Amino acid sequence: MLLRTCKQAIPISRRVGFTVVRRGAATESTSPVQAAEASPQVETATGPSDVVPAVAPGLMTADIISGAPLQLRHRSVRVYQATRNTMQSGGAKGERWRIDFDILQGGGRWENPLMGYASSADYMQGTRLTFKSQEDAIHFAKKQGWDYYVQPPTVKRIPPKNYSENYLYRPNKLRIAKTK
Amino acid sequence: MDRKKPGRVFTWSCGPNLHNLVGRCALRRRALRQMLRIVSSVSRPSSASLLAVANRRNIASTSARQADITLTVDGKEVTVPQGSALIQACEAAGSPIPRFCYHDRLAIAGNCRMCLVEVARSPKPVASCAAPATQGATVFTNTPLVHEAREGVMEFLLANHPLDCPICDQGGECDLQDQSIRYGSDRTRFHEIAGKRAVSNKDLGPIVKTSMNRCIQCTRCVRFANEVAGVEDLGTTGRGNDLQIGMYVEKMMDSELSGNVIDLCPVGALTSKPYAFHARPWELKTTESVDVLDALGSNIRVDSRGVQVMRVQPRTNDDVNEEWISDKTRYAYDGLRFQRLTTPLVKGPDNRFVAASWPDALAAIAAGLNRSGATANEIKAVAGHLADTEALVVLKDLVNRLGSDNLASDLAGKYGNAPPVHGVDVRSNYSFNSTIPGVENADAILLVGTNPRHEAAVLNSRIRKSWLHTELVVGMVGTRADTTYGYEHLGEDAKALEAFLAGKTKSEFAERWAKAERPMIVVGSAMTEHADGAAVFGMLARYVAAQGSRVVRDDWNGYNVLQRVASRPALYEIGFVPSRAAASATPKFIYLLNADEVDPASIPANAFVVYQGHHGDRGAALADVCLPGCAYTEKGSTWVNTEGRSQLGRAAVPPPGAAREDWKIVRALAEVLGVDLPYDNLVGVRDRMWAISPALVRWDGVEGTSVEVAKVGLGPLSAIGKKAPSGEKMGLAISNFYQTDVVSRASVTMAQCTRAFVTREKEELNGLGKEPMQAHA
Repeated sequence: MLLRTCKQAIPISRRVGFTVVRRGAATESTSPVQAAEASPQVETATGPSDVVPAVAPGLMTADIISGAPLQLRHRSVRVYQATRNTMQSGGAKGERWRIDFDILQGGGRWENPLMGYASSADYMQGTRLTFKSQEDAIHFAKKQGWDYYVQPPTVKRIPPKNYSENYLYRPNKLRIAKTK
Repeated sequence: MDRKKPGRVFTWSCGPNLHNLVGRCALRRRALRQMLRIVSSVSRPSSASLLAVANRRNIASTSARQADITLTVDGKEVTVPQGSALIQACEAAGSPIPRFCYHDRLAIAGNCRMCLVEVARSPKPVASCAAPATQGATVFTNTPLVHEAREGVMEFLLANHPLDCPICDQGGECDLQDQSIRYGSDRTRFHEIAGKRAVSNKDLGPIVKTSMNRCIQCTRCVRFANEVAGVEDLGTTGRGNDLQIGMYVEKMMDSELSGNVIDLCPVGALTSKPYAFHARPWELKTTESVDVLDALGSNIRVDSRGVQVMRVQPRTNDDVNEEWISDKTRYAYDGLRFQRLTTPLVKGPDNRFVAASWPDALAAIAAGLNRSGATANEIKAVAGHLADTEALVVLKDLVNRLGSDNLASDLAGKYGNAPPVHGVDVRSNYSFNSTIPGVENADAILLVGTNPRHEAAVLNSRIRKSWLHTELVVGMVGTRADTTYGYEHLGEDAKALEAFLAGKTKSEFAERWAKAERPMIVVGSAMTEHADGAAVFGMLARYVAAQGSRVVRDDWNGYNVLQRVASRPALYEIGFVPSRAAASATPKFIYLLNADEVDPASIPANAFVVYQGHHGDRGAALADVCLPGCAYTEKGSTWVNTEGRSQLGRAAVPPPGAAREDWKIVRALAEVLGVDLPYDNLVGVRDRMWAISPALVRWDGVEGTSVEVAKVGLGPLSAIGKKAPSGEKMGLAISNFYQTDVVSRASVTMAQCTRAFVTREKEELNGLGKEPMQAHA
């Protein structure tokens, strides 16, 4: 355990000097399956110059100890608030914030030739984390050392509605014929 | 009202016998007849208050904002604007109210009675959607009385609702199902010999599947059709138990927004025909993304299972699409499964495509470029409808580094080979500057050579909304079209526009336009592909300049170009246009990036052609090498909508076969061609986009153009098109709304819609018709 910790800690400390303008997103990804296939050359290039999350000062990222694979650092997560399902009127869970991973190109999912089930080489594709607030979500992503981007929630603008508006008198030509 | 009083039986706002029925043992036939009366009845405001409202409200203005009012909901004080419904106040207080008929974006109906709440000092439960919030009211939403009232309503609703849930497509996202968990009874008191009500199903077309036995008559679909879609012949017939929803005659619901009634329906009466029995909502993985089948950038949610997109749903965003999406956006997804390019293809000596590996295909392109002997401007790139911004940026860099400025687009005819007439130096010249929500502020709209109903269907519903609720007037120059709102037709060609702008047209619209405080000019993107394009843009620019601050000023920019193709705002933003020298060069090497509308005549016979895209359509047929790219559901990329709003799409499913993200393909090709591009990951590409235009990576916002810059942009436009226009008719940019791009052309559902609504082919039921019924396979 200690050995592994040290092994991982070294490249990370070397990378800390790197700064990335964190302005937005990166969906850069590499998968083992892609590398095996004949693919454009850019796909296989994942040197240390790839996405390196800016490490917040005074925050030790969890993967130094947790043993989370380093590949996670090449991927980005989206922090967002899921919009209401338009099929239903209930707004439950709408206040929560979510983190999930952008999917992997190529090796993300395939149809299993035996049964037709969906298979995946991506162990994060089913992971969806829920938080009470945006700050909590961002803090978690920082702690894990994930490159994240925040999608701002949309503002709902519903004007005051009134039943009596159905019966308002309109002096001009009527523009709607209601068939209710 | 004393809520604690035991055994108190509440009375309903109608039906004097009802309290005897509710809470007694058996429902008799009479009760059944009564039921629909309750469901459809509403509490009306007193005539005095109605008069007061009518006096207070001026029809020409939006509702006057008055002092907020404060009331108490479940012991919590909440302040809402005057004129709000009680249900809005309850929602603001965080008390969820069950409802079927009330919908935020439709008029209030007040006929399901599910939203009953208790208001202190009111003798009966109050339907919170139909009751206005009043100052100082004390409202309870979770008392035994409220619960009992809602249970009564639910029992009536379920009396005639079939027990279909296991085979109903709404299962899992059904409001009735959810609410019956809380308010439904576990046993029935319904013992009618005749059984439940039976209603015949209606044929609303290839999109909406009906199962009218399940209808609870909330009339959301009717209100949507009336107010938003403009289909005023979807309506109700009959009363009480016999009330039915339908088109009155055997007729399909011909609207490009019809798919939205499926979302609105709180039960399974209206469900999706293409999606029928395909999946359950809990099996689906949802990905929030952006639509690219028109230039509006509607926010969508892509629901996928495994490697397949199962359906596309709208995502609410009041700045763009509110809650609606067009049928093409919603149902063209099945086109993503057919006609796909899955592996690189190289044309062999016998003129047939042969599958190749990526290195071979890229080497074939390098060899083809050498063989063609193309240099400088003879290397041409053509950008098509569905090209994403990242790929465009990388392709432009590649072509520029090869020494060429020949960056064309697939505008109709030869117009893509030259810079567009409106110029691309200033963004306000080609953008929808008033913004999409800004449409609702306009008091007069002049449409020039555009039919927004087909070019931006959801925007069209905004114009209709504004036209219904304000005194908006609309004028149109161009080919007549059914727009779902009334307009005054001013002529069909640029000469009519010239006469109108010169004030020579005498009509009601001209009068209103002259007095309008927020006039709005909407020029269709098709005018850049028209012989009189220069004349039209020139005369409009001169008109705007002559009007001083009337059309373009600090708080209002009424000069709009409505784009209809998703890639073009980004194309113009990054300057993907040919220089004048390049426009006259004869290309020897042509790179088609998603370009399927390209004119085959514009490709010289001996040119080496590469097609990069996701569908084997017109563009691929012209190519020597095909490179398989990703469709919009398979890549995380930036899209700029007609306002200039940049939004980030997100990959929902992996691309098929060996297909790759488009920018990576171009980047890999650059490597093979020996061109050094200074980025090799997405962050690098986006840094490059940032360097070109920061607005491209400031997602989800519109960065408006300042008045000064907008006027500078219109300056050069004023100088063009001073010749008298030819008078050619403007025509329609889109003749078939349902098939405008490779995805929708490959879609079976869109083909069915085309048959049903555009060509209006009748299917012969006896099998003796001209064509077999295989379209439904």
